[in-house]
Amino acid sequence: MEPFRFYECTALVRMTGRRASDLIEFAEIIKNVSPAAIFHHMHQYFLKPHIILPEYPNDFAIWAADALEDKILAERLANLNPFEFTNIEDIRREILRIMTEHLKEYPAPRPVIKGKEFFFNEGITLVVETTFRADTLGEFLAALREVHTSSIYFHFYEARLRLGKELDDFSRFFEDCGDPKCREIACTIRSLDPYMYTTEMLRRKIIEIVEERCDDA
Amino acid sequence: MTLEEYRNIAEPGELRLIEAMARRLDGRKFIHVNSTFTGGGVAELLQRMVPLFNSMGIKTEWKVIKGTKPFFEVTKRIHNSLQGQGLMITRRMWETYEAVNERNAQKMDLSADCVFIHDPQPAMLIDRKKEGLWIWRCHIDISAPDRATWYILKKHVENYDAAIFSAAKFAQSLNIPQFMITPSIDPLSEKNRDLTEEEVAEVYERFGIPRDKPLILQVSRFDPFKDPLGVMDAFFLVRKYHDCRLVLAGGTATDDPEGERVLAQVREKAEGCPDIHILLLPPFSDKEINALQRGATIVLQKSTKEGFGLVVAEALWKERPVIAGDVGGIPLQVIDGVTGYLVHSIEGTAFRIRQLLQNPALAEQMGRAGKEHIRRNFLITGHIKHYLSLWIAMENRDSSVIYI
Repeated sequence: MEPFRFYECTALVRMTGRRASDLIEFAEIIKNVSPAAIFHHMHQYFLKPHIILPEYPNDFAIWAADALEDKILAERLANLNPFEFTNIEDIRREILRIMTEHLKEYPAPRPVIKGKEFFFNEGITLVVETTFRADTLGEFLAALREVHTSSIYFHFYEARLRLGKELDDFSRFFEDCGDPKCREIACTIRSLDPYMYTTEMLRRKIIEIVEERCDDA
Repeated sequence: MTLEEYRNIAEPGELRLIEAMARRLDGRKFIHVNSTFTGGGVAELLQRMVPLFNSMGIKTEWKVIKGTKPFFEVTKRIHNSLQGQGLMITRRMWETYEAVNERNAQKMDLSADCVFIHDPQPAMLIDRKKEGLWIWRCHIDISAPDRATWYILKKHVENYDAAIFSAAKFAQSLNIPQFMITPSIDPLSEKNRDLTEEEVAEVYERFGIPRDKPLILQVSRFDPFKDPLGVMDAFFLVRKYHDCRLVLAGGTATDDPEGERVLAQVREKAEGCPDIHILLLPPFSDKEINALQRGATIVLQKSTKEGFGLVVAEALWKERPVIAGDVGGIPLQVIDGVTGYLVHSIEGTAFRIRQLLQNPALAEQMGRAGKEHIRRNFLITGHIKHYLSLWIAMENRDSSVIYI
């Protein structure tokens, strides 16, 4: 079996030049902004190094709360779990559905003050293969403890939606390994709710899962 | 200077990424052009960055355009006009700008794989582009420019391959790719390196500032947008509850009549208050600023208008909590309630100072959080990583995931 190769990555932020200063403008732009922009704003939370977690895990919900000061909309957007979707167009449709329902129920909030507009950006991911490799569970654990959090982001979050894989790379590795113990690990990792983790928390959780099933690690 | 020196400061993973990108660009030629070798944030960063790029094997040169006094008067006016001060640039002024750019373009060898032109002063050099990737690196906020000035400059800017802005809200809509790269501080520079307690004490002693009570500091030019008078009003409100000192440290402003006027007002207002210290720092006072920041209890940046405001990152790096205006790039650095406080009024400034003076443990906790925030987001290593990422991304324009 092929060893697991750990990659690390960084994101470069490309600005689309599009900005929304109220909810209607925001909804209009969401209709046709690039899939890369939707991906970026739904996921950059996981790659960005935080010293404190923002209140919500996606940029749309944060903007609704902080700039529009519409907590109900913020909560509805925060509850949108991108990992329930296998493609970005479905996420776009869901955001628009939330907006439309919200506008039917409540008046559109006032425009935001200058400088607090929503700026639509896209991410370009640059990926580097590291020297960390794993053939055994022990090696996997040792490498997972050492790699940059961007590696966890890349293999867990980016792999699924953007790269169009159904499984994250870690689950795939354990799944393909054939050993029942590894299959069990794959199954447990797959059952995690990644939206509720930061990359650092996820690192600790996966280490815990593997350690529990790995007497010799 | 080598990347190795940052081994104990930056994330190892970040250094691995930089090294991998540098290997890919090994032997390639990189040129930076700006308008001065000394003074200002751009020169300060290039002084540190250029040797680092070279140490990584990327052949990097830094060139400066040569201009006349009238040229720099015009470019200062263009700079202010782009930042929304409503100044008009006359036909003659544009001719001066174009003539100096043209002369420089003829004399400079700008053959390279990648050329970064910093700010508006040398922006017109693009008209003489022969080869390579040309990027316009805009360090200022041009979100609300004088429309005519921007209309004329934009024609040149849109000939670049891409543009970089420090924050999304500083940008303008362009028909070329635009990227957001925040500026950074160098933790090993004279302004930010660790100092011993003796070095800090020596600077305070030299300036005649006793360290007998809590010390509130603002380091900024005497400029109305930095609101030094508002800082003093906040200080007077705080003094009803806490015995403390205020230090206002700024550059000399002999060529700036408005600065002179503000300084005179500050001096007049401070009269009769021995606990207010006004310092006029000469250029190259990096160690002094470093020591003043390290010796302060709380650092203020009560701006009402600001560019990126990297002085905030400098103070946070020294584990000082920062109370600052919610403008420009400050909210990216001050996480409200975590690394300091964002304020919107004199009263708010006074209230937050009182809170922190009353609760030194909270101030200390914010200071620690501030240093970590800067370490993760605003160090020169991250900045270098982004510049190299951009270069590689521009050479792989059709990909949104690039394997190096």
